[in-house]
Amino acid sequence: MQLDATTLSLAIACGVAAGVLAGLFGVGGGIIFVPTLVLIFSFHQLDAQATSLAAIIPVALIGAWRQNTEHLVYWRGAVIMGVGAAFGVLIGAEFALRLPEATLSRVFGMVLLLVGGEMIISSIRKLQAGRAATS
Amino acid sequence: MDLETQIGRVGVLPYVAIGVVAGLFAAMFGIGGGIVIVPLLILITKMPARMAAATSLATLILTSLMGVIRFSGSDHIDWVAAIVIGTPAIVGVLIGIRFQKRLPAEWLILGFGLFVVGIGIKMVFAL
Repeated sequence: MQLDATTLSLAIACGVAAGVLAGLFGVGGGIIFVPTLVLIFSFHQLDAQATSLAAIIPVALIGAWRQNTEHLVYWRGAVIMGVGAAFGVLIGAEFALRLPEATLSRVFGMVLLLVGGEMIISSIRKLQAGRAATS
Repeated sequence: MDLETQIGRVGVLPYVAIGVVAGLFAAMFGIGGGIVIVPLLILITKMPARMAAATSLATLILTSLMGVIRFSGSDHIDWVAAIVIGTPAIVGVLIGIRFQKRLPAEWLILGFGLFVVGIGIKMVFAL
């Protein structure tokens, strides 16, 4: 990796942004790490994904530790999901080999639209109910 | 909500299922499981939003560790790059959590919903 002042400051800015998203929403930050590595550091997609995973470990560790001081981490659920994910990865790897990437991406995108849409609608309803209750 | 009552209410199966789905998507798209885990925890297990985000981070310790182990034999991981982007992210995660504490749950879910929809649009239209 070539490091000069510009790329270093870009990397730091993207790193902080990924971390803020991780802390706020509980995502790993890969959604920012991977494009950063591909676009700024000219990584190949697979190298970017692997390196992103390595960068996520300390973020997830420190984040979970911090949240645990407020008893917000349901460890048992986390471990069960982790074990489930190990199986999911094996199945997913098979799918990834057999189905065209564009189709997969489109299907998954639509699932996200539904899930995200449901979250937006339910939160707006609660906000409106709260407003009606206080007025 | 009491931590230990959480699993008693919905059982083990939803957590297994959410984990499998998260791993499935992680393998197929190379994105972390968090974007799947958090909304499914909120929608299926009715976990409060902050707890869902915190628990997702704990799961990601395991899933990213498994991923790194899988890649460790190859030279796909650039450790210098991982440190360069990972270290500022540690500062970022603490900032994010601090900000999350002050945010009412509805606004947190609304923000996450917008974030998820944004990623969804990007994937559907291949932007």
